[in-house]
Amino acid sequence: MRRHSVVAPLVLIGIGALFLARNLMPELPLLDYLAKYWPFLLILWGALRLGEVLFWAASEKPLPIAGVSPGEWVLVVFLCIFGASLHAVRGFNSWWPRSGISVGGLDMFGENYEYPIAGEKPSSKTPHIVIESFRGNARITGVDATTVKVTGHRTIRSLDQGGADRANSSAPFEVDGDPNSITIRNNQDRVSAGNVRFNADMEIMVPKGASIEAHGRFGDFDITDVAGNVDISSDNAGVRLQNIGGDARIDLRRSDVVRATGVKGVFELKGRGADVDLQGIDGEVTINGSYSGILQFRNLAKPLRFQGQTTTLNIEKLPGQVRMALGDLTASGLVGPVTLTTHSKDVQFSDFTNSLEVSVERGDITLRPERIPLSRIEATTRSGDVELSIPTGAKFDLSASTSRGDGTNDYGSPVRLESDGRGAMLKGSISGGPTLTIHTDRGQVVVRKASAEDKPLVPKEDTKSTPVPAGPLKKVDQ
Amino acid sequence: MNGNFICAIRGPVLLITLGTLLAIDQLGAYSFGRTWPALLIVFGLLKLAERSGMHNA
Repeated sequence: MRRHSVVAPLVLIGIGALFLARNLMPELPLLDYLAKYWPFLLILWGALRLGEVLFWAASEKPLPIAGVSPGEWVLVVFLCIFGASLHAVRGFNSWWPRSGISVGGLDMFGENYEYPIAGEKPSSKTPHIVIESFRGNARITGVDATTVKVTGHRTIRSLDQGGADRANSSAPFEVDGDPNSITIRNNQDRVSAGNVRFNADMEIMVPKGASIEAHGRFGDFDITDVAGNVDISSDNAGVRLQNIGGDARIDLRRSDVVRATGVKGVFELKGRGADVDLQGIDGEVTINGSYSGILQFRNLAKPLRFQGQTTTLNIEKLPGQVRMALGDLTASGLVGPVTLTTHSKDVQFSDFTNSLEVSVERGDITLRPERIPLSRIEATTRSGDVELSIPTGAKFDLSASTSRGDGTNDYGSPVRLESDGRGAMLKGSISGGPTLTIHTDRGQVVVRKASAEDKPLVPKEDTKSTPVPAGPLKKVDQ
Repeated sequence: MNGNFICAIRGPVLLITLGTLLAIDQLGAYSFGRTWPALLIVFGLLKLAERSGMHNA
């Protein structure tokens, strides 16, 4: 009897699942995962084969001559080539995001040695402070003073104390410059990367009027109470800003969190990252990049321009809030014109004024304008349900259609429902109202009257930072 | 344990070794360029086991 291996069907299932996941969640960084973890596929493959042979041996079935067939070896070679090139293309120099450099046995056998750092320099009331590229964290606080003061320590990971001492003395810590322009330097570049690894944790006190320009390689920036501009660029950083009087410009190749509260000037963010949380920004907000976590915006006084990998969102003003996650977007309290284009998200808008344009490739759309007079609404999805709640007393010229799916008219007159075979059309107008155009290629269309008992729109996913209490919502139902 | 069994598990064991070495390479501790002789050692050990298995059989 010919033995059939389970590996081939499992590979098929795996490939199918990968493509399915890619299609359903296009923003999931699957390629990144693959580039990181592909050697484990080899281990899994081998383990499956080994398990099979052991099972056959235990059940005294005849064993194959080779546990892994020549064809499979060819596949293994291809997988190795694919994995190695993907790894190189994706730019992972090593396993963990924190180790940007290959350090040999340092991670396993090295030890941490700590050295204090300190520096002080008199400055003007509004100095420009440059922090030169370094690995480590910086906490910058604006205080009533006319000096720049740095305290903290550096951690040097080395195989022996001598190596760490040498590295410490060859990379002196410096606070340099004139009262108007001060440079903080760790000189980490002077030490060859292979033998030791530097990390500096700095606590920096600056005059309140200072402006900051910081460059980092790996580490967090925490900036509070600074009246000037803040300019941060880093290969990998978490950034927290609070009470910034000027503009904030942040350019990160990778980040876990960017959080800003109270920025008086414009806010610009570029790069890749996970979570973004902005609150109380008085200037225009521009975000350009790819963010895989939860994005939250609250209380933005000027326009928000968001350009993600698959999502574009423009809002003129945001007194309310927007929460965007991988698979959904919930927004309330917006001043338009609002435009949203996205690939695959369930979209919920409530309490918005001025025109709204929503275009979704795959996902449901829920719209609750809540205020009258209504403005122009244009909402389309290729695949998903659309629900529109019209407030009582509103004037409108409605045209809601589905090419394949049901239509439901819960509004009543003057909206009429026309069904044609596979699709449906809801039409109706009250004189002088704006056009409301709603369309889905495949899905339901529901038009209904808004009522005071409507539950507030909450994100469908569980939230990390703002958990929705389960108790009070239940009470409303009773 | 006979030679046939060792022969059958040789491929999977080598595959697991290869995967482990590549994973260590990505971990940044030791590059595959340095650890590849481990594959030869595992192969040799399996050959030895196979031979002793045949003698016993």
